[in-house]
Amino acid sequence: MTTTDLIIGPQHPALHEPERFVLKLDGEYVVDVVPRIGYVHRGIEKAAELRSYIQDVYLIERICGICNVAHSLVYVQTVEALQGFEIPPRAAYLRTVVHELNRIHSHLLLLGVVGELFGFDTLFMYLWRDRELVMDVVESITGNRLISAFNVLGGVARDVGPSQISEAKRAMEYLRRRMKFYKKVFAEDPTVEKRSKGVGILKPSSALSLCAVGPVIRGSGIKTDVRADDPYAAYGEIPFNVITYDTNDSWARFMVRVDEVFESIGIIEYALDRLPDGPIRARFPRRVREGEAFGRVEAPRGELVDHIISKGGDKPYRFKCRTPTLANILAACEMMRGGQIADVPVSLSSIDPCFACEDRLAIIDVSKGERYSARIRDLMAKYGASR
Amino acid sequence: MSAGMGEADFLEALKSKLGDKILRASVMGPRRVAITVKPGDHRIAIEALKAFGGSHVSTITGTDMGESIEIAYHVWCYQAKIEASIKAEVPKSSPSIETISDLIPGSMLYEAEARDLLGIEFKGLPYEGRLILPEDWPEGVYPLRKDWKPDWLR
Repeated sequence: MTTTDLIIGPQHPALHEPERFVLKLDGEYVVDVVPRIGYVHRGIEKAAELRSYIQDVYLIERICGICNVAHSLVYVQTVEALQGFEIPPRAAYLRTVVHELNRIHSHLLLLGVVGELFGFDTLFMYLWRDRELVMDVVESITGNRLISAFNVLGGVARDVGPSQISEAKRAMEYLRRRMKFYKKVFAEDPTVEKRSKGVGILKPSSALSLCAVGPVIRGSGIKTDVRADDPYAAYGEIPFNVITYDTNDSWARFMVRVDEVFESIGIIEYALDRLPDGPIRARFPRRVREGEAFGRVEAPRGELVDHIISKGGDKPYRFKCRTPTLANILAACEMMRGGQIADVPVSLSSIDPCFACEDRLAIIDVSKGERYSARIRDLMAKYGASR
Repeated sequence: MSAGMGEADFLEALKSKLGDKILRASVMGPRRVAITVKPGDHRIAIEALKAFGGSHVSTITGTDMGESIEIAYHVWCYQAKIEASIKAEVPKSSPSIETISDLIPGSMLYEAEARDLLGIEFKGLPYEGRLILPEDWPEGVYPLRKDWKPDWLR
């Protein structure tokens, strides 16, 4: 079969981040996909080994601007596990509240972008307007809209007072009303239905074998969530539902996120009502004992893991981080196979990609059945002048 | 959903399946265990985890330990609710190990990543070429090895 190559990316394949996919096409249909990541690989694992545990809090928080709280949380939890350190209960509850606020803002951001991709710009503007309310609550609790270094080794950096709690609860009440409206839009609007139902099918068996995570695997009907299966912070004490949909399509993955916002609102209200008294931070030692620890959290995009090996001292010997988008790349390729070109952006955005990784160029010569890599300047020298 | 297993029970059950293939075993913390096996036996160990719902590779860590490179496969066991880290050490002079991407296809990109950054050869890995490093990065230079320093870039 003769196929044509279409290269999607590296600029803005879905969200405003670089990533490249080589699509092999038969007419309008995608036969195969080759991912190549890496445009924004910044060598943070190496950088973390050269810095102290305390400096790394600020470095690792910057792996991702959107889910920064998940990154700093999994890092501080892993270092605390390494040391066998218990944080005060109030800190565990506050970490949970801020982690969930982070999830809400991330889900609203993605759902808004999806509205724009559907050609439904009003939905995008509404969702992002309501997202601002969440950002205000985050700012009032942590001191900043995004990067705030709220999670620190041994606890959290700031306490909350009664006025912040009532402000946050008012915002959650308003947001729950708005989310009922958005759920109706995502569930019933014909534009959403036509653009996402049946688009980007990921069967449960594929989701499992490709090791998909987060709303992607839950959109294929598999009930797994780190918060429920492997509880951390205060999740062991807070009731919530793990949301699944079983239509295996992009619509299911968007609906999982819509419903998860309701669960997050419930978790935040529950935690704020039952905030334990006491300190928010305990003194954490500068030097960490020898050993290793493996940490997992449910980031907005799914399971996020850190593996830290310590040989004693004030710097980690090895810091390894795996972001949820990397885990979902193979699943995204599977969703695109068999679909049409026009569905590629919807499928790709349904994993909520966040490319904290890097990419260059892979070339497939279909006539010879070869695949090779080349530098862009070599290609320009070969083809640039004549084309 | 199952209620999960205790870490000690899990290690016992795994020992009864793998016997003396396990060189070292330890409980790392709540819901975390680590076992060390010889390279080659890591595939048997990963197969054995499937009995506990161990089908999800969370990630693969390669670590430069000086004389050797330690490869750790972190597998979440859905039924046992335990993250099992299967470790194998390969000599740094010729780091090579069989792929597990035929057993668990989702591990492909993690092996490709470790190959790029640590120079571990995964025999039978279907993903060709580089995943992370730029194509004009020199051959045989692996940034996550301890002898590589970022000053090299200056």
